[in-house]
This record gives sequence, C-alpha cells and structure tokens, in this order.
Amino acid sequence: MNPVAVQPSRLLAIEDDPVLGTYLHEQLVRCGFEVVWCQNGQEGLNRARDEHFDVVLMDILLPGMNGLQVLTQLRQTHALPVILMSALGAEADRISGFQLGADDYLPKPFSMAELRVRIQAILRRVALDRMPPQATVLAESALVLDEDAADARYGQQWAGLTRSEYRLLDTLQRNADEVLSKPFLYQQVLQRGYSAHDRSLDMHISQIRRKLKAIGYHEREVRTVWGKGYVLSASDAL
Amino acid sequence: MRSKLPGKHSLFWKLACLLVAFCLLMIWLSWSWGRYMDKRTGYLTDEAKSTLIGYAGEAEQAWNCGQQTGVDQWLQAFGKTERGWVGVLGPDLQSLSSYPLRDQEAQRMTFLRGLDWPISHINRVRPWIKVPFPKDPSAGYLVIELPQRYMPGLSQLIWRFLINGVIPGVFTLLLCVGLYRLLIVPLNQLREQANAWRADQLGVRLSSQTTSRQDELGELGRAFDQMSERLQTTVNQQQQLLRDLSHELRTPLSRLRVACDSEQGVEALRERLSREVDGMQRLVEDTLQLAWLDAERGPLPVEDIQIQALWEMLTENARFESGWPQARLPCNLDANCWVKGHLNSLAQALENILRNAIRHSPAEGTVSLNGQREGDEWHLWLDDQGGGVAPEALERIFAPFTRLDGSRPGDGGFGLGLSIARNALRLQGGRLWAQNTEHGLRVHLRLPIADPPHL
Repeated sequence: MNPVAVQPSRLLAIEDDPVLGTYLHEQLVRCGFEVVWCQNGQEGLNRARDEHFDVVLMDILLPGMNGLQVLTQLRQTHALPVILMSALGAEADRISGFQLGADDYLPKPFSMAELRVRIQAILRRVALDRMPPQATVLAESALVLDEDAADARYGQQWAGLTRSEYRLLDTLQRNADEVLSKPFLYQQVLQRGYSAHDRSLDMHISQIRRKLKAIGYHEREVRTVWGKGYVLSASDAL
Repeated sequence: MRSKLPGKHSLFWKLACLLVAFCLLMIWLSWSWGRYMDKRTGYLTDEAKSTLIGYAGEAEQAWNCGQQTGVDQWLQAFGKTERGWVGVLGPDLQSLSSYPLRDQEAQRMTFLRGLDWPISHINRVRPWIKVPFPKDPSAGYLVIELPQRYMPGLSQLIWRFLINGVIPGVFTLLLCVGLYRLLIVPLNQLREQANAWRADQLGVRLSSQTTSRQDELGELGRAFDQMSERLQTTVNQQQQLLRDLSHELRTPLSRLRVACDSEQGVEALRERLSREVDGMQRLVEDTLQLAWLDAERGPLPVEDIQIQALWEMLTENARFESGWPQARLPCNLDANCWVKGHLNSLAQALENILRNAIRHSPAEGTVSLNGQREGDEWHLWLDDQGGGVAPEALERIFAPFTRLDGSRPGDGGFGLGLSIARNALRLQGGRLWAQNTEHGLRVHLRLPIADPPHL
C-alpha cells in the first residue's frame, strides 16, 4: 500500500532561508515529490489558493506575511494539510500552531528523514480518508474487533479497551505486518501532529499490550520497530 | 454588593476600637473636667477667703475697741484700700456703723453669700459676701462687695480654653503620631525596599517587626518578602543557567574547532559533526524544556495514569538503549496503582530518573520501582545499586547542570535530567527527592492518587 506511487505528490514549500530552502527543495525532489518553493508568505498564500497542492510546508517567521497569518487565511477557504516548520520550539508555539489548524509541527533543526516520514504520514491519512471504509474480515485471527462495542474480544473475554486504544488496534490490525510510523498513527488515530515529548501513543500501545496479555491473546503482538514505529505481527515468543 | 467581614487580625478592628475609644474619651474628659473646673473656679480662692477673713477680723477688732466710732474710723480707713461697698452689721442685720442702711442696701442683705458658696460666673455683678467675725461669729458680720480681683472669670476662661481646646488638641496629636507609627512607618519600609530593588539590591528584606504583624500590613510585608525572594532566586537561576549553558556549549564547539583544524577524512568529519550537532540539539532542547517548566506557574493538566503501564513503556525504551533485560528492571507495583499526573512530563521525569539510575548502575545491577499508598498519595521510589551520592549532594543533584565526579561533559547527560524531573513533578502537584540506601541512590516520588477505572 503506497499512495505516493501513482502520481508524484505536489508540495508547496514556503521557506525564506535560501540555504535551507535549496536543500529542502533538492532533497524532496530526490524523494520523488514535485516541489514548488517560494520565499515569501504572501506569494505562498496566493499560490496555495490558486494551484493544487497535496501538502504545504511552511516556516513561521517569514518576510511579508508570517506563517501563522498565512495559515489563518488559508484555513478560511482551503482544507489542505499544512506542516509548520519552526525554530520556535517552545510548547506554547506548538500549541498555537495546532490551534490555528496546522496538521503537524516540526521544530527546527530536523532531519530530512523525519520530514519525509511526516509528509508521508499526512499523505497516507488523506488517502485513507478518501477511500470508502472497507469492512475487514479477519477470519484467520481469533481476535475479534467489535466496531459497535469499540472493544476487542478473544474467545469470550473482552479486553476492555478505551476508544483511542480500540482505534489504534483497529488501524494496526487493518495494516497487519506493516510498520506504521508514529507520525502516521498520531495523524490517523489521535488526529494530531506528533512531537518528541508526546507519549500518549506509547502509553496506548503499552495498555493494549497489557490488556491483550490479560485476556490470554498471544498469537500476535504489537511490536516496536526502533526508529520507525509500531507493527502488529505474529509473536516470536511462541 | 456583599463584602466579607474583616478577619480577626484585621487592621479594621484596631482602627475602629482606637477611634471609638478616643472619641468617647474626649467627650467624657471634656464633660467631666468641665464640670469639675466649673466647681473649682466657682468658689473663692483660699487667698480671697483669708483676705476677707482678715478684713472681718479687723472690723471685729474695731468694733470691740471703739464700738460705733471705732467701726466708722475703720470703714473710713478701709474705703481707701478697697473699692466697693462695705458694711459692718450686727446679728440683727443692722448696721454697726453710724451710716444706716438704705432700703436698697437692706434689700440686698437678704441674699448675701457665704464664704463657701459657689459664685455664679454667668452673673457679671459682683456678689456681696457675708463674713462673720472670726472670734465671735454671733457678734456681727462684715459684708463686702467682692473685690474685682477675686471674681472667678479670668481663670475660668483659661481653664475652658485648656479643656476644650488645648487638651483635645494634644490628645489628637498623640493619636496622629500613634496612627502614623501604626500605618505609615511600615509603608515607608516597603517603599525603602522597593527603592532597594530599583538599585538592584535584591537581597534586602523587611524587618521582622513588619513581617510578624498579624494584620493586613503584615500580610503585605510578607507578600513583599516572598516576592523579593522569588525575584532573587529567579534572577540568580537565570544568570546561572545562562552561564552554565554557555559553558556547556563551549565543549562541543571546541571539539568542532579541533575537528575543523585537523586533517580528518570527510567521513570521520561528518560523523563527528553529526554527533556534536545531536549533542548541542539535545542540550538546547533540554534547556528550553527546563526554562519552560520553570516559567510555568499554574499546575499542568492532569489525567489518570497507570504506573505499571508507564513503567513498561519506559523500560522498553531503556532496554533498547542500554541492552538491559527486563528482569533487571522490575516493577513491584500492581495494576491498581493509578496516579493523577501530566503524562508527557511525568513520563519524561521518570525516564530521566531511570536513565540516570541505569547510567550509574554497576554491571549486572538492577533498578527497581516500588511504592506504597499513603493516604491520598502514592509514594513511589526507584532504587539503583550505583553506590549513591555524597550526603551533601543529595539536594544538589536536582540543580541544573550539576554533574558529580566521574561523568564527563556530553557523556549522556548535561545534568539537566533531574532538574527537569523535579520541576515537572512540582507542576503536577507531586514531589521529588533523593536518599541514600546501603546499595545506592533511592529517588522518591509523591503523586496524588487516582481511582483505577472500573472495568
């Protein structure tokens, strides 16, 4: 499952620093994206309104118009995903970015690999949102995910999952054996951007593991893939 | 509009009592002294009495010596020394001299005044005083119009001025001095302290005389002292943080400088560069985090957290980083241990403590989490076997950029971890402190209890 493969996604990068902008442009093109780079807030806003883009990458401190203002104006008409990039790393800036409707917030400095993971997480979420929900029949699994009860059942035992835990397990189950990145899981399950100090997802995973163990389900387990994310796969302990 | 009644120690009661008491005192003083002085000054003075009795003695002597003629002579002589009407009368109120009484005078004889009678100060007419002969009172009287100089009046005016003007004035002045000392002197001290701050003397504190007061001014003084305490520590911390941060940045920078000058290959240089950038990034992030936690005043939003799940999450990371098996990171708490905390900062705090414990553990050492319920709180403690720290360093390890001997700069930490942990705990209503045990360091945490969700 790779929604990026068919047609290259169009990105709009709004970044005033020429060194970082050039590098960003170069690297993203190398990753297979079609990238438009502009250095001015107002120009970026105009292009984002007039043309089609899949994701907007934007700095906050910009000449002409500040990134948060661009975001506010853009949100009045367009719903396209926006990733803010900023050297303002404080918690308060992050929160105000999300409040204005940013889909993700990446504190500078960041590595290109990290940015790529975030872009892909958003593209994938958007693609999933567009697809009609498909009923997954996992006949081979003894673990039954009950949509109505929002809980998992193994034999006669209910795991007692919370709403978020259920959705997380559901997402992992639908994409079984595929490593799902943390930024994607945040986008898909918790519907917010991921930050390094946010431990909600890890905590949900920890609870899912405990609850599945408690009802005696050992066939598959949620495993951590270091530096990548989580995967639901067959236990090797058996 | 409803306002709260002032507290028991409020200045209101002091002022109210003082002013009411003062008013009542003034009214009473003015009234009772006025009456007293009226009485006192309404009588003849001793000097006047003795003079008049002396005159009566002379008249008696003149009567005894020369009867009517003696009295006439004496009266003539007397008219030169005293002005006003004078007469010497017998017991039957008839004149003993050769001058008979006129009708008008005879009429006045019916309301003569005795020596001991009060004299009206409203009536401006000089009264006639009847003085019996001192030796034989039944023999006769001297009747004399009171000489002007013995009239009460002048002294009465002075007394009235004293009682109604000077004395209340003096008392009010004393009251003012008292009120000034009570109210304005502490305010002046506050002003002096504010001025001291302006001159950058943050160490100045108010006198204990002001801060130990129970009333509003005492409260104000204490608030002032706390404010200056807070201001001073904040400024000191900021300065210290800035100094430490620059110092810490110097280490990776100087390494980079060395790398820059050396003849290393591109690969080695890139590897070195990436490592130093990572280190500096972590330093800046930790410092920002600390500054944010330190600036944050209000409590963080809390949620219910299961410690067991949290520990599993943290030890999974720790196992990956350190290569320790789970068996060396036991948690001796059951699934019912739920606390109220802010997940991200609590996880970070515990992670910092755990990393610290692992870093100082000997080979094959264990780090364990234990706890017990104490009232409305969970008391958790994390034991390591790293030998602990010097007793005097137990508090110091929580200060930013504190590194005890044996750990090099950039060697996995900048000494910010425990400091961040303590601030994070403080902001979610918890506490963090350390203690030495026989094997190593024990870090204690205290957090409010949460009810386990009902399944």
